Amino acid sequence: MAFEVVMPRLGWNMEEGAVVGWRKKDGDPVTAGEILFEVESDKAVQEVEALESGLLRIPPESPPLGTQVPVGTLLAWLVKPGEEMPSRAAAAPAVAPAAAGMIPAGSRAAEAPRPPEGKRIRISPRARRAASELGVDWALLSSSGSSGRILERDVRQAVAAGTAAPAASARAVRAHEAVPAAGTPSQDVLPISSVRRLTAERMSAGAHTTAPVTLTTEADATDLVRLRGQLKGESAQPAPSYNDLFAKLSAHALLDHPELNARFEGDSIVRSATVNIAIAVDTERGLLAPVVRDVQAKSLRQVAREAADLIERARAGRIHPEELRGGTFTITNLGMYEIDAFTPIINLPECAILGVGRIVAKQVVTDAGAGQVAIRHMVVLSLTFDHRLVDGAPAARLLQKIKRNVEKPYIWLAGA
Amino acid sequence: MTGKKGAAIGKDQMLALYRTMLVIRRTEEQLVKLYAAGKIYGGVHTYIGEEAVATGVCAHLRNSDTVFSTHRGHGHALSKGMPPRELIAELLGRATGCGGGRGGSMHLFKPEIGFMGSSGIVGPSITLAAGSAYAARLRKTDQVSVAFFGDGATNNGAFHEGINMATAWDLPVLFVCENNMYATEIPYATVTKNPHPATRAPAYGLPGVAVDGNDVLAVYQAAGEAIRRARSGEGPTLLECKTYRTRAHSEGMRDAGYRTQEEIAEWKARDPIKAFEGKLLAGGTAAQSELESIDADVRALAEEAAAFALASPMPDPATVTEHVYSETQEGQNA
Amino acid sequence: MREMTFVDAAREGLAEEMARDPAIFVVGEGIGVRGGNFNTTVGLYDRYGPERLRDTPISERGFTGICIGAAASGARPVVDFMFIDFLTDAFGDMFNQMSKLQWMSGGRLKMPIVVRGCVGVAPSNAAHHSGNYYPFFMHVPGFRVVMPTTPGDAKGLLKTSIRSDDPVLFLEHKNLLALKGPVPEGEHLVPFGKASVARGGKDVTVVGVAFMVKKALEAAELLAKDGVSVEVIDPRTLAPLDIDTILSSVRKTGRLLVVDEDFAPCGVAAEIAMQVMELGFDDLDAPVKRLNGLSCPAPYSPALMTNLIPTTTTIVQALRDLLAE
Repeated sequence: MAFEVVMPRLGWNMEEGAVVGWRKKDGDPVTAGEILFEVESDKAVQEVEALESGLLRIPPESPPLGTQVPVGTLLAWLVKPGEEMPSRAAAAPAVAPAAAGMIPAGSRAAEAPRPPEGKRIRISPRARRAASELGVDWALLSSSGSSGRILERDVRQAVAAGTAAPAASARAVRAHEAVPAAGTPSQDVLPISSVRRLTAERMSAGAHTTAPVTLTTEADATDLVRLRGQLKGESAQPAPSYNDLFAKLSAHALLDHPELNARFEGDSIVRSATVNIAIAVDTERGLLAPVVRDVQAKSLRQVAREAADLIERARAGRIHPEELRGGTFTITNLGMYEIDAFTPIINLPECAILGVGRIVAKQVVTDAGAGQVAIRHMVVLSLTFDHRLVDGAPAARLLQKIKRNVEKPYIWLAGA
Repeated sequence: MTGKKGAAIGKDQMLALYRTMLVIRRTEEQLVKLYAAGKIYGGVHTYIGEEAVATGVCAHLRNSDTVFSTHRGHGHALSKGMPPRELIAELLGRATGCGGGRGGSMHLFKPEIGFMGSSGIVGPSITLAAGSAYAARLRKTDQVSVAFFGDGATNNGAFHEGINMATAWDLPVLFVCENNMYATEIPYATVTKNPHPATRAPAYGLPGVAVDGNDVLAVYQAAGEAIRRARSGEGPTLLECKTYRTRAHSEGMRDAGYRTQEEIAEWKARDPIKAFEGKLLAGGTAAQSELESIDADVRALAEEAAAFALASPMPDPATVTEHVYSETQEGQNA
Repeated sequence: MREMTFVDAAREGLAEEMARDPAIFVVGEGIGVRGGNFNTTVGLYDRYGPERLRDTPISERGFTGICIGAAASGARPVVDFMFIDFLTDAFGDMFNQMSKLQWMSGGRLKMPIVVRGCVGVAPSNAAHHSGNYYPFFMHVPGFRVVMPTTPGDAKGLLKTSIRSDDPVLFLEHKNLLALKGPVPEGEHLVPFGKASVARGGKDVTVVGVAFMVKKALEAAELLAKDGVSVEVIDPRTLAPLDIDTILSSVRKTGRLLVVDEDFAPCGVAAEIAMQVMELGFDDLDAPVKRLNGLSCPAPYSPALMTNLIPTTTTIVQALRDLLAE
């Protein structure tokens, strides 16, 4: 049987080499032990002896001199006289694979908690777990430890003292006060739902940790009403609601007054580049405020479509926690209940909230000098702002701008 | 040399010696080819040229006698009774190898036949064999132990400490030094002022015997006497066998610079197998055809062993951490 | 229950095992006629003679190699190094032969060998007689590392070590040898891999190594006066390590201090801290804290030894700091 002459491994780590010279020619007889060819690897040339006797046959596919080939590559055959050289390498062995690489340890990477945006607040794992179990927003706690890390005892003490704010994902805002209406006899003892509990906590925080001031003004919404009427007749799509219109016109006002399009993040005030409007929605479970993002960049119809979807899902209980976060301004509308003015509570960690009252036809003075009166559609706007973050004048200027946008829709309809 | 000289060796024993040397030679030749074809990983230190030493010593040993070997250990393993297929499969890293692929060439194990391991570290074969001898005596058996090592090991602390204690305590052990004149590529005479290991023995108080390591009968005689001494409680012997490896220190290594082609050719002419063949034929102990028949048989055995090994499966990677401990313990986080 | 010293209890365990199994023999310098530098074999030579109580020359590597060969061949040696510092000459054969022969032979060779020696910083013993080094043996696969801190555990763990078919480092702290404590009558075996809660508590957990367990208990007693409840755990065996007992404690207290007089890098505390982080991260109210000896060889002058290893005082302070964190 023909004997394979292959590129030998000359050295523990040799992976490839090149034949640089044959000492015998194709067809020559070879005796075992004679030097048959020379190999170069790692710049050293070594002689290689024949391991068997026979006639040397170098096939056409044998690597040309000087060509690097892997160890084990067929170079030639040693055949018996009269024997044919095999046409292809018989059972051509690939070089045995090098020892398999280390099997990586099958460890699960622990999911790294994402640090909150803005300044880094440190908390021990044990405290984080306690905060999660108790539904506490630990970003607002302070540490009693010398390390500055929030500890388990800090979480538990805060909950016991009632100073802990609920975690962001379950935040909710109610526009009116959380005190039950006077004169409602209550014989039933109702268990407190989680939404109710969190609303209670959020309202309390909004009322007591901020410095709320409410400004009111009355705006002439006649053109706004006409606009909505025109849009209603316009297409098969449902027309944008008044909330959608107020969302758009407020967003545009906020572009000119960025100091009120802001949130608290730890120790800093972060002004947002986008205006994300949270719209207060009354649902069976309680008050939710889904957020439409980037209102300033979207068309009125797009805002309307998104808001409609969010509100429907909020009412059906299919809203995603992420969709209840990230707002930079909230709008709450009690006009359908014939309310004019009220003092909405800030939706922390935002900076301001706009309360919209009913749009009602009134007789107003259009020209005091000429004694002119007219019937106009009027609406009261109530803006509560956090005086810790913003002063009265800038807040007033925002409200004035909102009023202008109500009275002249063409300003914001044309875009920035 | 003490003890009986020239005790008659029967034809069967002579042919057994011949056959064992051929088993080593033909198996090593298979390994050389497999190595050249890139099928063997790491280092392969062949025993070619030294066959007479392992053969002559191990011919006297029972399965219960223990042998401790060194990095050039294929010859010791085969002459202690390891089947060639288990040796070749081990070097190919297969599950059917004597160690299931765990050890390869330098860490061969087959305790069932008293082959207690070869070591990639030079020296421990001496102390381990002395310890095995200690256990044999403690357990009141007449087992003996043999340590094989090279000239290089004679300068290692294990040689000094091990031989000293074994002699002090009269342990049933034989220390076989295969003096092939080079430790890797360092000539023995350049690293010691006294390059004659047998002559160190009196300093420790044990007999030192030097023989021609390429004369299997000389090795056989000397080893027989030493093993008799050990088994009868007379203590250890240091047996120096002068021999030569005709291939490079390790397969694939260059064989140039530290020795001459003339020296290699000179020792090839003193090939132990050829020499013994000559003796058998000249003495009329065997006919040419008998010897050729044995060789053909052994060649076939070696080829079959290589084919078996090539066809054998690799070991299961999931078993790699087994046997770190003899029993798993609770609480061990490995 | 009867009270015995640590060394007497261990010797009683050795004597019982040697009576039970004739394959057991002891090897070391001065452990024969003399009974051992630390009295580890007093009285045994007269009973069993030189073959089983073998006095050796100063050939640590050599007699360790001999004992490895003997263990692989059916005997059960106890190698008594006197000081762990001396066994360092045998590291090569311990790492390459003793720890690997079982594995290399696929379990066909066993290694029922006990390597014992005294460890620890003791007054003015200086650089070559104060070693600890046990992390080396926790690190390399194949070894068991046993460090009892009470007389009862010394006896029970030595017997278990001798009966094990694995190589065991049985390490006794010098400062514990004369410690007296209760030792049960009759057959008394302590298993590997089971820590003991030396003192229960709820505010903070301390794991001590060897002599540091005693110091930690003293610190716990002092802190109890201030109303602080300290739980002290004695691992008893470092390999295998009973991490579950430590984790349960951390689940309860949220805070862990490991006290080890050996050097900090790659040490017992580093290993425990990593395992607690892997398996009990969410139970931690503060990072795991460690208190180690200084990273330098042991000095001779008492003045230089002042801050060398943890003391009751420094352990108390470390606990206070940990609780305040």
